[in-house]
Amino acid sequence: MSTAVRGARRRDSGSRRAASAGRRVGQGSLTHPSRTGLLLVSPAVLFVGVFVLVPLVFALVISLTNWPLIGTVKFSGLKNYTAIVSDAAFAKSVLYTLLYTVIVTGPILVLGYALAVLVRRKRRGSTVLRTVFFLPFVVGLSTLSFVTVLEAQPDSGLINIVLRDLGITDGTTAWLVDGPLATGLICVLVVWAVSGLTMMLLMAGMQAIPREYYESAELDGAGWWKQEREITIPILRRTIAMAVIISVIGSLLAFSQFYILTRGGPGTDTTTVVQYIYNRAFVQLQLGAATALSIVLVIVVGLVTAAQFRLLREKD
Amino acid sequence: MRLKNTFYVIGGGGAFLVFAVPLLWALFRSVQPNDVIVAAPDGKTFFDLTWDNFRTLIEGPGNLVRAVGNSLVVAISTAVLTALLATLAGYGFARFRFRSGPVLFALVVVSMMIPFQAILTPLYLEMNVLRLTDSLLGLVLFYTTVNLPFGVFVMRNSFASVPVELEDSAHVDGCGTLRMLGSVLRPLITPGAATVALYAFLAAWTEFLGALTFLTKDELYTLPVALVNVQAGAYGEINFGSLVAGSVIAMIPCVVLYVGLQRFYVSGLASGAVKG
Repeated sequence: MSTAVRGARRRDSGSRRAASAGRRVGQGSLTHPSRTGLLLVSPAVLFVGVFVLVPLVFALVISLTNWPLIGTVKFSGLKNYTAIVSDAAFAKSVLYTLLYTVIVTGPILVLGYALAVLVRRKRRGSTVLRTVFFLPFVVGLSTLSFVTVLEAQPDSGLINIVLRDLGITDGTTAWLVDGPLATGLICVLVVWAVSGLTMMLLMAGMQAIPREYYESAELDGAGWWKQEREITIPILRRTIAMAVIISVIGSLLAFSQFYILTRGGPGTDTTTVVQYIYNRAFVQLQLGAATALSIVLVIVVGLVTAAQFRLLREKD
Repeated sequence: MRLKNTFYVIGGGGAFLVFAVPLLWALFRSVQPNDVIVAAPDGKTFFDLTWDNFRTLIEGPGNLVRAVGNSLVVAISTAVLTALLATLAGYGFARFRFRSGPVLFALVVVSMMIPFQAILTPLYLEMNVLRLTDSLLGLVLFYTTVNLPFGVFVMRNSFASVPVELEDSAHVDGCGTLRMLGSVLRPLITPGAATVALYAFLAAWTEFLGALTFLTKDELYTLPVALVNVQAGAYGEINFGSLVAGSVIAMIPCVVLYVGLQRFYVSGLASGAVKG
């Protein structure tokens, strides 16, 4: 394609875009000179460039070296990447993170959906309920984790006292020093803390569904669950997938609740991928190896997003 | 219909307790003395309430007041800087046609998909070179970047919904670009800017991993990182009273801002503010 044609094309698409924006604001615009435009966007672009793109490119370079904090940098080729395959501790953290993700995703969706059903129509108290259900998410997992630390103490923590009074345990459980128990506790905490977000996302979708759909279904004698299954869920498929993607990505990147409650222990039993990379980089100071793992994480998170979007499109 | 109401009352009431009680419980714990918190509940002492935990936070060795100050400075600066840069960029992307525009916008959108947790190591090394580690300014720049892509997106949509004719007539009156932004457009884009600032503030106030990584000096710690020290007993024995009181302080701005500015918060959710 010749430059002239390409140029004409660009002008064409440019003016079409401008026309769709309401009127012509092209390159020669007096009210909107193009140089001012570039000037306006450059600070933001500079930030993104310096703190996202440079590190990303830098990561590729570091991952091909030994990169010690002190001493000379040595090129090591793909060694950091091939080492990942035989890194049993990394594999363990990957499996653990996947297990955690699998455990929490379903309950977050189900609880979030149920809460959304509860508050989607305007009724007495529904605004208050909505606010309260979403508060734990707003407060954030790190703060909630600190509070959980003291309520998980043997004999004195609320969790143990309640379980003892219900006759389920003797109240002396040391939740945070046992892998499976700590995992269970963190999963309950996370489901409680973040299902409010799923509720908000689903509720917005539910409120956009015309009420007539339900009214005519009711006339046909469809019960509540049948209405959800045949009206709400099919219409909200995209929103549901979106909410699941957001929660899965959050789970794959989990860090603070594990760091605060267990530091990844006992041993490395509750070490998530992000914590493992953090330890390799900032505790063991193996920056090259840690960065190679980071790049794997970028790719995995990217693939999950892409795969789920694809799944969503195929179902249409 | 009757059945549905019963379901709403029972389900709503039950869920309300499940979500509200733990938060209220933390509030109650924060006014219990430490020796009551760590002991098996005893009816005789359980309701001996005191402000001691908060007093310890203020006067004790952990210097949590400073951490709260650091957090406030970082969160407010992040909110202001993010809103400002996002407003300028949003205006540029929405209204101006320039050759690199689409590419630069794509760049900003793509950066939305790269979780900062995954580029933490190279980011740390780069910030080290730029002398931005162990610096609150560095933390502000980092948080601003994390929040910018979403902010630019929101602000671009805000400007796109303002009629161009408005700017034309102001231009005829001799209004320059910055005055246009500051006076003619400002009231129309304030809701968008408030949404961006709100999210940036809350994200900076609650952020943990970045602060833990980029700060190593006690006197620069933000509140969440300072609480790790309290939890680890870095100032003598572990004081659960201080820990829960500090957590309550950490919750207050979140609750107040969310309840007060819910309208802006919800509109941000619809534009994809939360990434997980």
